[in-house]
Amino acid sequence: MAVSLSSVVLLLLLIIALNWLPAPGSAFLIDRDPTTSSATLEPHFTDCISRDQETFRCWWSPGGFHNLSSPGTLRVFYLKKDSPSSEWKECPEYIHKNRECFFDANHTSVWIPYCVQLRGQNITYFNEDDCFTVENIVRPDPPVSLNWTLLNMSPSGLSYDVLVSWEPPPSADVGVGWMRIEYEIQYRERNATSWEALEKQPHTQQTIYGLQIGREYEVHIRSRMQAFVKFGEFSDSIFIQVTEIPSKDSTVPFTLVLIFGIVGVLIVIMVIVASQQQRLMMILLPPVPAPKIKGIDSELLKKGKLEELNFILNGGGLEGLPAYATDFYQEEPWVEFIEVDEEDAEGGDKEDNCSSDTQRLLGLPHRNTEGFSAISPPDDDSGRASCYDTDLPEHDTQMLMVSLLPGQPEDDEASPDAPASETSERPLIQTQIGGPQTWVNTDLYAQVSNVMPSGGVVLSPGQQPKIQENSSGSERETQKGGKLSEEEQKKNEPQFQLLVVVPEGSGYTGENEARQTSTPPSSPVPGSGYQTIQPHAMETKPAATTDASQSPYILPESPQSQLFTPVADYTVVQELDTHRSLLLNPPPSQSPSLCQQQHPLKAPMPVGYITPDLLGNLAP
Amino acid sequence: GSMKAASICSSDQAGCHFLSLANLFDRVIQHSARMHGISNDLHSEFELYFLPSKNQIGRVNRNCHTSTILTPNGKEYAQRIAREELTEVILKLLVAWRDPLWHFHQNMAQQLTFSHFSSNKSLEMSDMVHELQKGVQKVAEKMQTLGIISNSLGNLGSPKALLASDGAEWRLMNDYDLLYCFRRDSNKIQNYLKILKCRTVPEHGC
Repeated sequence: MAVSLSSVVLLLLLIIALNWLPAPGSAFLIDRDPTTSSATLEPHFTDCISRDQETFRCWWSPGGFHNLSSPGTLRVFYLKKDSPSSEWKECPEYIHKNRECFFDANHTSVWIPYCVQLRGQNITYFNEDDCFTVENIVRPDPPVSLNWTLLNMSPSGLSYDVLVSWEPPPSADVGVGWMRIEYEIQYRERNATSWEALEKQPHTQQTIYGLQIGREYEVHIRSRMQAFVKFGEFSDSIFIQVTEIPSKDSTVPFTLVLIFGIVGVLIVIMVIVASQQQRLMMILLPPVPAPKIKGIDSELLKKGKLEELNFILNGGGLEGLPAYATDFYQEEPWVEFIEVDEEDAEGGDKEDNCSSDTQRLLGLPHRNTEGFSAISPPDDDSGRASCYDTDLPEHDTQMLMVSLLPGQPEDDEASPDAPASETSERPLIQTQIGGPQTWVNTDLYAQVSNVMPSGGVVLSPGQQPKIQENSSGSERETQKGGKLSEEEQKKNEPQFQLLVVVPEGSGYTGENEARQTSTPPSSPVPGSGYQTIQPHAMETKPAATTDASQSPYILPESPQSQLFTPVADYTVVQELDTHRSLLLNPPPSQSPSLCQQQHPLKAPMPVGYITPDLLGNLAP
Repeated sequence: GSMKAASICSSDQAGCHFLSLANLFDRVIQHSARMHGISNDLHSEFELYFLPSKNQIGRVNRNCHTSTILTPNGKEYAQRIAREELTEVILKLLVAWRDPLWHFHQNMAQQLTFSHFSSNKSLEMSDMVHELQKGVQKVAEKMQTLGIISNSLGNLGSPKALLASDGAEWRLMNDYDLLYCFRRDSNKIQNYLKILKCRTVPEHGC
């Protein structure tokens, strides 16, 4: 086994070395050894080829014998082995100028061995390898009528596919079925040296994939019989080239359209911005709500023209003022006005027109049956950096409101733990709904008349506080204090906590601190001026106070307040005296009516003035 | 695969019959082309491993056992003879090669000279001859049914009737000659079938 294998390998090497692989029936040497000089070479046949399997031709060469090159000196004889008794015959047709012997259809038989030989005068040059059968020497003609069509382009636009189609060679009778041809396409770039060959196939069209844009390609085709070896000549080349012109035409306007579109969009945006500048300002830079009283120009205040100010506030009646105000602040739409409108009564406020400003301001229904539940601050910002934060007033306002309005309607909702409490950061206040009101008409915006040295704040309420018995007082609840309600209810007086404004503005002090401040004695005088909210020593406030949460509360203190001369809520500052005191207009004649001071703008201005020094001297 | 006459249409319309005949022809032609390809491959391989001596090619009488079968050797002859004759020639050739190819495959499987690939090809070649003969018989029957050819063929199913001789001459051939002869004959068969089709149903792809 090994011996035979090695012998096979040796034979293979021998074949390669000799570069010789004879096809059966066609013994014509493909590559003669060029080293052998032509002088020693005897006349021989160079090739025999059939184009259509019906005829064939043979060419010979005299070799080194130049004296035999003249026509007629060498003669061609052939042997057709169709019967054992066949003999050599001479070439049926000579073409001497080509040294060619042509065998027409009558002399051509397929599948029958032929042998050809050259005969000179006395010498016969015969090579036994020059025997063949016609089907083995068939080399079909190349196809004709080559053309190509563009199949598709790649999405990137850089490559494309081409369908090449052709017709079979006219000499090959494929229609009858006599010849079955398969084709091989080869293509290359213009400047390339080697050809790319596609797979052989018998159809008359084939697709070339992946040609590159802008390059020129050369394509030619050759044919051969199916299941045979010998190819025919190559056809004439055709050239394929696809440039970028078609794609450019489509992209150039596209880019222009894109540019114009972008420019147009930019112009539209600019127009919108320019036209809606003020609204955009509102959106992008929301105005800081500065407290402005409608109709009052801060400039007037600065200039000290109180007369004009008074006129503005009083003069022209109601009708004139709003008109003035609207004109005045026409150009400042972002100014938020503090609208004090009597007609803007909330629901349920019809019984009593004298709903406090606070109530109106906050939109709370007067004596509504609904009680407050836990009120949590609207925003999430629990950290209070400074008391000048704009959010603070609102926040405190709510706190204040809640605490100052304990007198919500009686009965129900005595549940202390009604609302859900928020995070521990946020102070919650739950007012006890129950019991008679104490501070039903206490305004939220109580004017601070004086700040006591102890830290108490003297407020001047706009209306006479309706101090009533308070069986339950207001309650406050933290998340922790659940027991407050029971204790609170025992008290007759509402327990209040003072809101202490520390001068340095560090916020609010805790309950404990507030409690430590001494409180000036005060006695509740109904119908009197203002009240003093002072730190009240709350003895019986164990549970709640021990919580020690830094939540600012305020609880109005009704029974202990002092009422001084009634001062309107919005007392008009007449002027400033040398002591830097505010000269206020004297309040109008106080009446027990609660409807007083509802509209400070309409009420007559108080006369006289009160200096801070005189506050202490005032006595009811 | 087996050569089954698959009728596309079941009705007895004339066009339908011709269409099925054309399909039959296409199948047998495809089959014969493949058979010829395999024989060509085997012959080339054989030549690669065993260089024939120069004298072998030049022998006057190539000892093909099918040389006794008269076959048209040119296009005109093939087109001139009757269809029945052409069909008969095809069938004779196919029948004549069944046994030799079978024995050739048997020998090849036992010998280690050829690769496994060649052994498979010889088996495939042997099977193909058998299948192709059945296919051509069906084509002939179909043609007889359609009246294209007369019934002078006689009993085509009997191989012995077609054998030109006793059939023992093929044992004298050596392997190389056998491959050479079969390669030639398979080309003949392919050619004749194509011509027969284009003479019978030319409108269907010629």
